[in-house]
Amino acid sequence: MSTIELLFALLKGLRVTLTVAFFAIALAFVLSFVVGFGRLSKIKFIRAISTIYVEVIRGTSLLVQLFWIYFALPIIGIRMTAMMAGIIALGLNGGAYGSEIVRSSIISVPVGQTEASIALNFTPRQRMWRIILPQAFVMMLPGFGNLQIEILKGTALVSLITLGDLTYRANVINASTMETTKIFTILLLIYFLIAWPMTRGIEWIEKKLTVGRY
Amino acid sequence: MKENILVKYNDIHKSYGDLEVLKGINLGIHEGEKVALIGPSGSGKTTLARLLMTLEEPTKGTIEVDGKLLWHEEVNGKLQRASEKHLHEVRGNIGMVFQHFHLFPHMTVLENVMEAPISVLGMKKEDAKKDAQEMLDKVGLIDKVDTYPAQLSGGQKQRVAIARALVMRPKIMIFDEPTSALDPELVGEVLDVIKDIAKEGKMGMLLITHEMDFAMDIADRVVFFDEGIILEQGPPKELLNNPKTERLQTFLSRFMNAN
Repeated sequence: MSTIELLFALLKGLRVTLTVAFFAIALAFVLSFVVGFGRLSKIKFIRAISTIYVEVIRGTSLLVQLFWIYFALPIIGIRMTAMMAGIIALGLNGGAYGSEIVRSSIISVPVGQTEASIALNFTPRQRMWRIILPQAFVMMLPGFGNLQIEILKGTALVSLITLGDLTYRANVINASTMETTKIFTILLLIYFLIAWPMTRGIEWIEKKLTVGRY
Repeated sequence: MKENILVKYNDIHKSYGDLEVLKGINLGIHEGEKVALIGPSGSGKTTLARLLMTLEEPTKGTIEVDGKLLWHEEVNGKLQRASEKHLHEVRGNIGMVFQHFHLFPHMTVLENVMEAPISVLGMKKEDAKKDAQEMLDKVGLIDKVDTYPAQLSGGQKQRVAIARALVMRPKIMIFDEPTSALDPELVGEVLDVIKDIAKEGKMGMLLITHEMDFAMDIADRVVFFDEGIILEQGPPKELLNNPKTERLQTFLSRFMNAN
């Protein structure tokens, strides 16, 4: 196969990779906030649940989680498509790390900001949404930038639960052509080219939100 | 003139662990009265102010603001810790200017001043903007409305913070060492602004400061604090010229020597 042919054969998996990455990142983002706030909750039960989630997910392997969701859950009657399983596993995983980003950023906003907003008689909700969160969000961006790249790269694992993503295609073509070096070099480049604009995008947002302010 | 008590501390205690910072404070402040709190660092002045701003809760005792208990409310005839709703209601009478300004860095100067009137008082945006502009003009910063706090000097930041607190029209404003974090050459501009506000007269002030001349100049009453109790209080001239306690004499002489 020529390089161009290899490239096109590989790119058949691009859609799956991008779909899984997109939805997993979205899920991780939402979970990051829900669980991040959960860990700061005044209610002990919510704090406990959130902490357990973070510790369990962080303490176990993503690959095993993926297998567990796809192969073990059906045994207790919960079935889902490989795509769904991939998105959920990656999203849950990203959410656990992301919640730490949210939590640590919120508690890094200087206490004086809260005190000033109490002095101006903002309600607790207004303090969070209008004063604390906008400042914390800027601090979260570099962490979220890392996280979304981690998730993108993590999508390579879904090839192991039968999904035809980029890595899956690479393995299939490799088995029939044995052009290992060429195939995996192209594969590396493709992942890099997807990651690049994601990084730049986050940097752009960060710049937009901080110019002249910090 | 009928003088109503606006703020009343009743036997207020505050401890952090074993350390008792306030040891039974009784203090009343009349409407419009300017009270200066003086005393050595660590004497409990700032804590007293922070209790009033609801930033700290008293260990024992009550505070009344405009006839209502601040930290407590009566539910079914029993006195219990105030709910957030109750705090919100009573705290509207009080404003505060902090030593370290605490401007909101993600908002422009104008937004810093407009935000609370819109979100807390429910003012219309145009009205809040007009009011904010007038207040910023008063503190001499009308040309900085679109600037972010990071680009201001310390003195300018503190003047914005004063405008931000003033637009809420509190009945009493706490100034917690408003010039202590400033470079010496910037102190004057902030003191001038506070003097102007004091001369307008309507708003009460609880002023914590180490600027003795300034305190003597604007205060109706000076309260000398030491080790968590009020040791002496009275009109500024009386206290300055005729200190009764040895501690106040020592404290004042240290200032006189410094100047």
